[in-house]
Amino acid sequence: MNILVIMIPLSILLLVGAGVAFFWAVDHDQFDDMDTPGLLPLLDDEPRRPPERQE
Amino acid sequence: MNPSPAGCWHCGETLPAQAPLARVAGAEHAVCCHGCRAAAEWIDQLGLGDYYRLRSAPAQRAPDAAESHRTAVAWARPELARHAVRDLGGGRRESMLLVEGVRCTACVWLIERALSAVPGVASVQVNAGARRARLVWDESQCSLPAILEAFARAGYRAAPLDAAALDDARKRESRAALKRLIVAGFGAMQAMMYASALYLGAFDGMDTSTRDVFRWLGLLVATPVVVYAARPFFSGAVRTLKARRLGMDVPVALAIALIFGASVVEAFVGGAEVYFDSVSMFVFFLLVGRYLEMRARHRAGDLSDALARLTPVFADRYRADGTLERVGAVELQPGDRVHVAEGSAVPADGVLAGTRCRVDEALLSGESAPVEKRRGDELVAGSLLVEGPAELAVRRVGGDTVIAGIIALVTRAQTERPRLAEAGERAAAGFVARVLVLAVITAIGWSLVDPARAFTATLAVLVVSCPCAFALAVPAALTRSLAVLARQGVLVVRSDAIERLAGATHVVFDKTGTLTDPELALGEIALPPAAGDAAARRTEALALAGTLARGSRHPVALAIHRATDGIATASVDALRAEAGGGLSGRINGRRLRLGHARFALRQEHIDPALEDAVVLAGDEGPIATFHLVERLRADAADTIASLQAQGLDIAIASGDAAPKVAAAARALGILRWHARQRPADKLARLAELRAGGARVIAVGDGINDAPVLAGADVAVALASGAELAQASSDVVLSGQRLSALPEARRIARETLAILRQNQRWALVYNLSVVPLGALGFIPPWLAAIGMSASSLGVVLNAMRVGRSRPPAHPAPAIRALETPA
Repeated sequence: MNILVIMIPLSILLLVGAGVAFFWAVDHDQFDDMDTPGLLPLLDDEPRRPPERQE
Repeated sequence: MNPSPAGCWHCGETLPAQAPLARVAGAEHAVCCHGCRAAAEWIDQLGLGDYYRLRSAPAQRAPDAAESHRTAVAWARPELARHAVRDLGGGRRESMLLVEGVRCTACVWLIERALSAVPGVASVQVNAGARRARLVWDESQCSLPAILEAFARAGYRAAPLDAAALDDARKRESRAALKRLIVAGFGAMQAMMYASALYLGAFDGMDTSTRDVFRWLGLLVATPVVVYAARPFFSGAVRTLKARRLGMDVPVALAIALIFGASVVEAFVGGAEVYFDSVSMFVFFLLVGRYLEMRARHRAGDLSDALARLTPVFADRYRADGTLERVGAVELQPGDRVHVAEGSAVPADGVLAGTRCRVDEALLSGESAPVEKRRGDELVAGSLLVEGPAELAVRRVGGDTVIAGIIALVTRAQTERPRLAEAGERAAAGFVARVLVLAVITAIGWSLVDPARAFTATLAVLVVSCPCAFALAVPAALTRSLAVLARQGVLVVRSDAIERLAGATHVVFDKTGTLTDPELALGEIALPPAAGDAAARRTEALALAGTLARGSRHPVALAIHRATDGIATASVDALRAEAGGGLSGRINGRRLRLGHARFALRQEHIDPALEDAVVLAGDEGPIATFHLVERLRADAADTIASLQAQGLDIAIASGDAAPKVAAAARALGILRWHARQRPADKLARLAELRAGGARVIAVGDGINDAPVLAGADVAVALASGAELAQASSDVVLSGQRLSALPEARRIARETLAILRQNQRWALVYNLSVVPLGALGFIPPWLAAIGMSASSLGVVLNAMRVGRSRPPAHPAPAIRALETPA
């Protein structure tokens, strides 16, 4: 049962860590808009140069 | 879904004969106007051409450049900017803008990229759902007018909101609820884990010190749940107690406090059982229900947004020398003279100083047809000038206007709405009181008989009889039915609407826009007898009428324009609009007139049958006669039939003229109808019905319906209707489906039946175990299992809502029933 002495404090630490991370996320607008971010990976990071015009 | 090749590349509208071309990504695309061309090319130059690939709906037609420039410049006036801009210090300014035309997430992406490219803009955040953008910029490099012009260039209309909108109460509420939910979730999971160790330990003979460690751990994780996550229940209980009522929060808060308090005492004295897991789970379940309810409420929009859209921000005021200056509508004073352009909204109440104009007063009467006004007639703020321009002498401004009065009426009706005290709430509250009495009796009884067992037995009574099952009986069924209804496009804004929906006896429908389609449709086309192929002549007449009608915003012209979508049209010269008459122009050298028979045929005396028709005529004589109809919604007849089958009494109350209302009522088989109803008349009719004991569902869409909706037992608004109507409603039907209403009522009744079943089950369970607990036959661990099982039973039973298939439904017949418009 000695393993509990390590595992339980560890589980509580992880729990507190997860809670803090979640609070941070809520306070930094991560849950305000659930639609737009899903689209972002599909986009080019750098603005695409307009292709050369063929005259 | 890009617009069809026939439509504008940017906004999807029909192309004019000589469409301007926009160069996007090296290719040329036809667009409908120069505004759209500028928007498309600017988007491409910024390297944001991906927008056209990503979007799921065509954009809004780009605003006219000159007009948006004048509006943007007016925002530089300090009198106006003061309301809308917040100074963050260090030259940084912040503003919240309401953005029209945000259709999909690609719009959000485009706005964020395009606005970030404006020098001096520090941050842009767009929320598609709320149609709001929050901007922070450096005043030394940028300004509010520059930002508004950047919006206009990208093809969006943006209006700064009052600075108070920055402190968004809804955002704060939803963030706090989310945090509470997650704390309760985490706490409940951990508490369950430690509790299972304790339960197993009870059988395996866990030694006391290990057992105590797990108890203290349980206390550690349950404390934040009770102290932080459950706070809304405690504050709610205090609030209702102060109001001398026993609400739902009182038993819930009592149960939480007692179980938690008793468990803490047990943990300290080393007693038999602790219940930290039960109390955390209880809080978590309840918070999930509350969170879903809040989300639905927020989605339905609020009054401030609706108001921002209704009344214009600006007015064009005449200076003493006769020139125009653009000022904020808030700056207008009675006695000012303002110019109102065609297609824009009237900024204040006043009288017409020009000779004549036509306005759309759907705001007041709900009537679809524009009303003609002559010199000296009253115009109300918020109504739309369909045919103008007009000169207005301002009489009343701000809070004195008619529209402000309607909004005040809505607010008052909302506060006066009789809040039916929920029976379930009373039952649970009464039950808690009785259990408390019983617990006290148990404690006294056992302390006389065997003081050592007094605390255990009292705790067992409290836990085994825990009003969890009672408290969960209502929210579990309601939460489930909210989810089921939302999936069918029925958004329940106030959850007690379900109970009242199930108990309703009468339905009052608005006609225009609710039972009928919001837009006029082209009906029969009559051709004068002549030689030639009738079908070809019909098509030709339609093409000519469509060409003339293009560009006019008159509802009749719009209906013809929609009907002729896709038919090739030529270009038109010398197009003129004659107020009160119609349109005239030259197509391929042929002089044509489209409009009222008197105007088109140039005759003083016409056939009375043509009074309501639209005539297309050339110099040689009439070409075609168009009859416009107000079409009933495709599912209106089925909806009425289903509601009547459910035993509801149905009536129509409309602002429209008697013949049209009568025709619609006849077509739908509705016996009771009232025409020419103003909002106050409708409200009075509702009060009369309710005084007779009826419980009324009101269904509407228009702004004029808002007070009626607010005064009904259940207010149902169509999602396509006015924001104001939605804001004052209990239930919003999205997706234009009227037929969702009978289905929603069926689910509401089912919910109520299951809810009652839950309550009965909770009562039977409690009646059978509480005496056993009081007599000391139930060890506390069994009490905990019993309580969890009874709560689980209630939740699982609630899941049955919406499972049963609806009764066989006839396929929706396409109804050709039409009423003359």
